[in-house]
Amino acid sequence: MTIDIPFIWVAFKEIIKALPITLILTIVPLLAGFLIGIVVALVRIYKLKYLYRIANGYVSFFRGTPIIMHIMVIYFGFPLLLDQISLRFDLGLQTNNIPIILFVLIALTLAAGSYLSEIIRSGIISVSNGQLEAAYSVGMTKFQAMIRIILPQALAQSIPNFTNIFVGFLHTSSIAFLVSQKEVTGAANIVASVNLKFLEAFIAAGIIYWGITILVEGISFLLEKKVTAYNRGGVS
Amino acid sequence: MGKAFDIMLIFEFIPTLIHYLGVTLQILAVSIILGFVLGIAAAIPRLYKIPLLNQLVILYVSFIRGTPILIQLFLVFYGLPALLMLLFSIDITRMEAIYFVIITYAISNGAGFSEIFRAAIRAVDYGQTEAAFSVGMTSRQNFFRIVLPQAVRIAFPNMANSVIGSLKDTSLAFTIGVMDMMGRGDTLIAATAHALEVYLSLSIIYYIVVLLFEKIFSKLEKYFNRYQKADVTAVA
Amino acid sequence: MIYLKGIKKSFNQLPVLKGINLKIEKGEVVTILGPSGSGKTTLLRCLNFLEKPNAGLVQIGNIIVDAEKATKKEMLAIRKQSAMVFQHYNLFAHKTVVENVMEGLIVAKKVKKKDARQQSERVLDKVGLSDKLDHYPSQLSGGQQQRVGIARALALNPEVILFDEPTSALDPELVGDVLSVIKSIAQEGITMVVVTHEMSFAREVSNRVLFMDEGVIVEEGTPLEIFHAAKEERTRRFLQRISGETYFLPLKEQVN
Ligand SMILES: Nc1ncnc2c1ncn2[C@@H]1O[C@H](COP(=O)(O)OP(=O)(O)O)[C@@H](O)[C@H]1O
Ligand SMILES: [Mg+2]
Repeated sequence: MTIDIPFIWVAFKEIIKALPITLILTIVPLLAGFLIGIVVALVRIYKLKYLYRIANGYVSFFRGTPIIMHIMVIYFGFPLLLDQISLRFDLGLQTNNIPIILFVLIALTLAAGSYLSEIIRSGIISVSNGQLEAAYSVGMTKFQAMIRIILPQALAQSIPNFTNIFVGFLHTSSIAFLVSQKEVTGAANIVASVNLKFLEAFIAAGIIYWGITILVEGISFLLEKKVTAYNRGGVS
Repeated sequence: MGKAFDIMLIFEFIPTLIHYLGVTLQILAVSIILGFVLGIAAAIPRLYKIPLLNQLVILYVSFIRGTPILIQLFLVFYGLPALLMLLFSIDITRMEAIYFVIITYAISNGAGFSEIFRAAIRAVDYGQTEAAFSVGMTSRQNFFRIVLPQAVRIAFPNMANSVIGSLKDTSLAFTIGVMDMMGRGDTLIAATAHALEVYLSLSIIYYIVVLLFEKIFSKLEKYFNRYQKADVTAVA
Repeated sequence: MIYLKGIKKSFNQLPVLKGINLKIEKGEVVTILGPSGSGKTTLLRCLNFLEKPNAGLVQIGNIIVDAEKATKKEMLAIRKQSAMVFQHYNLFAHKTVVENVMEGLIVAKKVKKKDARQQSERVLDKVGLSDKLDHYPSQLSGGQQQRVGIARALALNPEVILFDEPTSALDPELVGDVLSVIKSIAQEGITMVVVTHEMSFAREVSNRVLFMDEGVIVEEGTPLEIFHAAKEERTRRFLQRISGETYFLPLKEQVN
């Protein structure tokens, strides 16, 4: 068994064409999950009646189970559910025509929401009470204080955590290949099987993920410096 | 596939699947222990800035942080036999898949642990080391008797998170043909065509195990923190 | 006996100690005074090689080390001759009170655990903490923590105990307790070097007072000489600034 080094480059050029799908599978769930995350975090912080129990359960369950389960359950469960609804109301929906990527996006969004809500929540909690009191003292409402004072600081502080989540979901998107998505890992798998050069193909895929990760971490580092500029000086 | 959803099947599947929980936990336990050793070994060159080894560890950690566990799994699965053949003419192509999984997860955990250890050891106040020297301890005695025990406390919550993350990652071992819970689930699906029920059963098992782990870890954390009763007067 | 010769120390080209010579007899209590940044802490830390001097000779008891070529082994030997009480206590956070005191005995002195415990309890009784043996440092007040720090040093029965501003991190009402503990061990004839801003302590307890400024020992003498007849202008100005009134009070007392 030998390794065909030039083929890594061939594979690389082929596999990188799948990068847009990997990025879609990463960014869309994170953006949508961010909205879920904020809402869920606020529900839990303000302990909204009943709702916060649901929120707690959602976060605990999605963080407590492997993401591959979310993808599989939605991939197999959603069409079933839609068929039932379609049958009952005679909608004539053709679930077979729904692109699989939609299911993957929904699953990853729900997962991202749970992880992000936890980060946002701890970010909010870490902003000192004095900030809130100061906001009240200049006449802000609870809502205004949250939006104008607390959240901006909480989010800025959470940049390293967001970066970790971004990288985590970039990597998690590789699971989508198990439901035959042609993202980076899926493309690598195809290149590997067609040419019977598995190692080379996965090395190429690894390099792509590694490169993107380093890039994202670099950007985050610069961003953090910029956004937390107000925090400079002093000992902290 | 298209069989109707049958909730009763879940009660049937769970006992079948749980038989294979042992395999999952075995993968987890061995890879955590090996990862622990590897993590300490990798942290030392970083802490003591041993030239060359230091850069090597940085590269290792960066690569593991930069690539999905699936890719790492495939790289080990296809790459390790090639590497061993090339270097030592050892043929391990017939080695059972579970060993590849354990090796991959150990390598992956080792990188994570080394960063956790490094941060924890750095977080121990240098005054502790000075005090240790002042009573006549050697560097080694200081490290093992004073710094390490305190670093363990600091590292513990992150370690616990890592272990739980690793537990969830074991759900991907089946992709190279390991007969763990997921692998058994695959065969169940093939036999019954009730994929949704299988994945729901698996989710439930994973969730319960994760909750159990969380409970145990939080108990342990309390124990580790027994000497950390925050006391304002203690702060100089 | 302690003997320092030509101790020099710089941090990033900045000379902090500019050639310190000092001899301390067995049983002597020496206090070091001086403005902040004058190098007092650095001098103490050079004495037990928590800082390695750039040049000079350090002798404690019968161990002599040339700082320039000090080996790890020699530094350890010096450290075993001495003990230190830190400004911020530096108690081992994961050990109980009695374990803090036992630690050095077990590790450095190779005392058996059982004996170490007995000795530690005895010393802790001396500093008035026999009811806190199994507490963790975080459960103690600053004054109590510092008394554990003193017990930890005392238990080692070293040639010398080095104190670096042992009361300056304490709330004022806790200073007295700690000072009286230090006084009582001073009266037992243990050699001590004490950096402090507590003038009453320097005056009443020490045999000798050193005044440091800008990395040199400007002046030394008995408390009486330094407090009432300092030769150097720098010393007089410092004493005036630091303890304007208390400096003159004892004069009146003595007159009465
Ligand atoms: N580890 C260090 N690195 C750099 N400079 C130091 C260090 N320790 C002390 N210094 C400097 O040495 C000088 C003397 O400090 P120190 O011995 O702590 O003085 P004192 O205890 O008399 O206040 C100060 O200017 C201080 O900034
Ligand atoms: Mg000082």
